[in-house]
Amino acid sequence: MKAGLFFDINAKMTSRIPPLLEPYLALPPEASLILLTGVLGASTNWLVLRYLHSTLLRQDGLSEITHQSEDKVLLISFMRDFAFWKENGRRLGIDFDKLVTKKRFAFLDGLTGLFLKAPQKPSSTKGGGVVLSKSDLASVHEEIRQALESLKGREDAEDKVLLVVDQIDLLLAAGGDGITANRLIEMLMGLREHVYAIVVTLYADYPLLGSHQTPLETDHAALLLSLAHQADFTMSLRLLDSGTARDVSGVVRITVGDHAAEDVQGLHKRIEERELLYFVGGDGGVKVFERGQ
Amino acid sequence: MSFRKRSVNVGDGGGSIAKDKILSTGTRPSPLDGRPTTSTGTRSLDSLLAGHAGLVLGNSLLVEETGTTDFSGTLLRYYASEGILQGHHVHVLGMHEGWARDLPGLSGESSSIRTEEKRASDEKMKIAWRYERLGEFGAGARDRPFSNNTTSASQTQTVFCHDFDLSKRLVIPSSAQIQFVPASARQSLDFTDTELGISPFTTFLNHLATHLSAAATAVHRIIVPSLLSPALYPPQGSKPEYVLQFLHALRALLRQYPANLTAMITLPLTLYPRITGLTRWMELLSDGVIELAPFPSSAIPIKAASNASTSQEEPPQGMMRIHRLPVFHEKGGGGGESSGFGDDLAFSLSRRKGLVIKPYSLPPVEGDEETPQRGIEHDHGKATKVDIEF
Repeated sequence: MKAGLFFDINAKMTSRIPPLLEPYLALPPEASLILLTGVLGASTNWLVLRYLHSTLLRQDGLSEITHQSEDKVLLISFMRDFAFWKENGRRLGIDFDKLVTKKRFAFLDGLTGLFLKAPQKPSSTKGGGVVLSKSDLASVHEEIRQALESLKGREDAEDKVLLVVDQIDLLLAAGGDGITANRLIEMLMGLREHVYAIVVTLYADYPLLGSHQTPLETDHAALLLSLAHQADFTMSLRLLDSGTARDVSGVVRITVGDHAAEDVQGLHKRIEERELLYFVGGDGGVKVFERGQ
Repeated sequence: MSFRKRSVNVGDGGGSIAKDKILSTGTRPSPLDGRPTTSTGTRSLDSLLAGHAGLVLGNSLLVEETGTTDFSGTLLRYYASEGILQGHHVHVLGMHEGWARDLPGLSGESSSIRTEEKRASDEKMKIAWRYERLGEFGAGARDRPFSNNTTSASQTQTVFCHDFDLSKRLVIPSSAQIQFVPASARQSLDFTDTELGISPFTTFLNHLATHLSAAATAVHRIIVPSLLSPALYPPQGSKPEYVLQFLHALRALLRQYPANLTAMITLPLTLYPRITGLTRWMELLSDGVIELAPFPSSAIPIKAASNASTSQEEPPQGMMRIHRLPVFHEKGGGGGESSGFGDDLAFSLSRRKGLVIKPYSLPPVEGDEETPQRGIEHDHGKATKVDIEF
């Protein structure tokens, strides 16, 4: 009876992560960079949530034995507020509020106050999210550093902090002349020294990359290409090339990065390049399957 | 989840006692997940929004249009009229008061269309009432209004989406909360001022922030007609840092007031084509993106002449494409009910029915066109007639 119940819970937990994506969503090796790209109509949100889920709610035996090291996540989102992540996280069983109080999760809100100079309502309703209020790169960097330090806590702790940067390309597009692709790449590189691994989401729409006519487009292409070359692997989402279908939301393509060949940590053993279809249901559940399945 | 849906539906359609007190006028819970929605003033557009049967509050809609026509402006006017009739606060950017004089008025209650629709809704099996809104798109194609079904169920319930008549003008009551904020085209001769670069959107954002915090319980509608049109905005407005910051701030406001605010923005695509990065960013920052592509004007009268005789349906005046839907695509895109995303849609604008969006189907070929009208037995006769004319 007891064993059956346990099995049930386990089955439920694993079903949140699509089995075909499990190797890609597991906590990556140290110092890796994972790039997620999306386009208009195929957002990376569900994939980010799966990363948060697999990092924060790992129920395997390892984390129970070594209590010293906990996997933590710092999420910075420039396009979505905390309410969005909380609502959709709840469907996956992630209780962000509880994780915030346990100091396993922190949220930096790059939407609410970034370009809105209006007097903010007291952040009691937000619940744990720090609101970025200045859009220049130095203060954004500083806020991230502070959030990282408060998340890490003790110096000697061996906590693994996964940094998830959601849509930092907005800062590049809307931030004005002060923010260039190079400075943004440098900032991300600097941040990588302080975290265990980093997940970055960017837009990869053709109009943003195809024509290099305006600074907006050239900067975006520079950022994306540079990060794509640095990345250990890239998961790019796009819409179905052959039009829309009722039971397919889009295509996810996994591309192994430049470094995979000389990788000694065995990442390349887990990561193989492939192209899969996915479907996000109305309840937030995701199905990932091969073509023709 | 299924529990929540059910309770919402019962509260909305059947009882409507407890819910009405909580919900503001002109809003109703979405049949999908219970989020409050409001009407865009155009029924067939409401029905396209991924099964929510309305624009979910806290979301924005970007309506793009190619060419020199102003169908998107008509959509905006319906949206504004609906807001005024529902007692919502309406904020318009870049226009002056004269814009409000052209808002469409309510169509007469005694029109024959309406009684016909009433009859149709009465004929419906009562058991289907809670499913019919899910199949709202199909209903929209037959121009069966949604609100009538609910009003027939309980006459006292407020109308969600009114019927407008383009030939009538809306008499704006003095109590209406409609405000016009000019895009601050402060053309100062002082060079330092332009160097510093003052965004033309700051006054509007400040206006919104103060009004939203002042009337936090009311429902607000933001209307931005032809964004970045050079007739309304100073040239520096199209700098990405200004317009994208504005849209980002608007997004922040929408999220900050998730139960009080919706926005509709129109964008002239001819000036800002979709292949540019700037337009793509504007689309990415909006929650819903639809594109109107009117047919060339010369094509309309021909089609009207050939089509109007065979069917009562309006000839399509243009194509519509949905690029993104509120809530639906933010979650990942999938599982919505009859979204119309990716389908070929056509729209037609008529005086009484407003803008009607329906799946596009090619009109029958010229030769076949006459057959349904004359009947099969006349088919042979028709052929000989043609022969005789030769």
